[in-house]
Amino acid sequence: MKTWILELWHYRELLWAFTLKEIKIRYKQTILGTAWAILQPAALTIIFSLIFGLFLRIDSQGVPFIVFYYSALLPWTFVTTSISFGSLSVTNNSGLVTKVYFPREILPFSTIGAAFFDLLMGSVIFIFLMLLYGITFSPSLIFIAIIAPTLLILTSGISLILSAINVLFRDVKFVVPLVLQIWLYASPIIYTIDRIPDSIRKFYIFNPVAPLIQSFRDVTVLGRDPNFKELSLAILLSILIFLVGYLFFKRKERIFADVI
Amino acid sequence: MTGEIIFNKVTKSYKITKAKYGLLRDAIVESFTRKLKRVVVPDNRAVALNRVSFRIKRGESVGIIGRNGAGKTTILKLISKITYPEKGEISTQGRIGAFIELGAGLHHELTGRENIFLYGAILGMNKKEIDEKFNDIVNFAEIHKFLDTPIKKYSSGMYSRLGFSVCAFCNPDILLVDEVLAVGDVNFQKKCIAKMHDFKKEGRTILFVSHDMEAVRSISERVVYLEKGRIVRSGNPREVIDYYLSRAKETPQNEL
Repeated sequence: MKTWILELWHYRELLWAFTLKEIKIRYKQTILGTAWAILQPAALTIIFSLIFGLFLRIDSQGVPFIVFYYSALLPWTFVTTSISFGSLSVTNNSGLVTKVYFPREILPFSTIGAAFFDLLMGSVIFIFLMLLYGITFSPSLIFIAIIAPTLLILTSGISLILSAINVLFRDVKFVVPLVLQIWLYASPIIYTIDRIPDSIRKFYIFNPVAPLIQSFRDVTVLGRDPNFKELSLAILLSILIFLVGYLFFKRKERIFADVI
Repeated sequence: MTGEIIFNKVTKSYKITKAKYGLLRDAIVESFTRKLKRVVVPDNRAVALNRVSFRIKRGESVGIIGRNGAGKTTILKLISKITYPEKGEISTQGRIGAFIELGAGLHHELTGRENIFLYGAILGMNKKEIDEKFNDIVNFAEIHKFLDTPIKKYSSGMYSRLGFSVCAFCNPDILLVDEVLAVGDVNFQKKCIAKMHDFKKEGRTILFVSHDMEAVRSISERVVYLEKGRIVRSGNPREVIDYYLSRAKETPQNEL
């Protein structure tokens, strides 16, 4: 493990170069360019606000629907982009994998880095929206400093596992969009976590995305502290998934060039 | 010692699959039939290298020749840790500059300038190092006019020049060059060969795979002849090349 980390450190400039490449490539030959990074959560926010807010009258705890939904869709978009691009990151770079050497985990990591860039872009709009709707920034906002890194660790772990499996079995490509769709409903995005009956909530929080998104919404638009017990569980699970993913990826890495 | 390469009884084979990659369905079915029938389904494998041992000293320049599929590229890929041996050990010391395939490490959508930085980083150079060598790379590759053009618009010769230049200036202890110079025009080939001669003078190790016997003869101090994953001859370039050419004449294509 130590040698892996040392090597990754040695190649840190490559990680940076790949992340920049990932950002540049993704929006090359598109008219709107990086605006796409913002449009995705923005479009969903409008749709959700209309359907779940205006039509179905879901309780948004007094927060205007636009910011209520954006506060969950912003981290959720990060989860979906990083996992969907991350899981394809090794196979999409098969030309590199078969011809040049570098620590392969740089590939999934750089796609996560690019997704994080999108998240930052989206956050600028978020701050703007919060000001527009007159939402006060509470001191709880400081917990973003824990929530955001945990999201990074979690999606990195999942991407490590999926990208390695995808080298062997391209079925992953089809499974991921399906699972992400179900996952959207299994996370407190359309609704808040308070709506889950306690009997189910015990199990519900084992989806690490759930406490993370709920906490994100808590500390931003709802202006309150997150549920620390549930957040800690999410942090623990995320680290665990990351470690398992990293070990799995490194074990499979040696055969990538042969089977890709 | 830096620049040294040692192969000790290295064996490498590739699994031959019907499709390009495995399907989950096939893997499940296969593992079930194996368990049910309790028979060992023999793997369909092609041996690329069979107990190959050799030692290349620091500063030596070695040419590898042999027919297609003899295992030449596999050796280069094993040295650069792109792939790993099944059996045997490989030890290398020092920074490796591998130029194994045309355009490897270059990205179509990026410009020539961006690619120099990206490929440089892939080869383990840091930003400062690339900055210092940037002009040398551009001059050597002769791509001044197209620096800010996406390289998907480049000709194959320009691709090859760009790739070789970045590799050559990454200051490797070991330079691995596969049959990639064939794409450039005569002038550029001459430049590359001259560059490799400079490398030799600087005491760097060169491993050169080619079908161009003239080039091999001019660069190598020693030539290794591979046949079906085994080293058949190794030694004086002229003798080994003559032997290879006579073998090639007397045996029909499909038997070697």
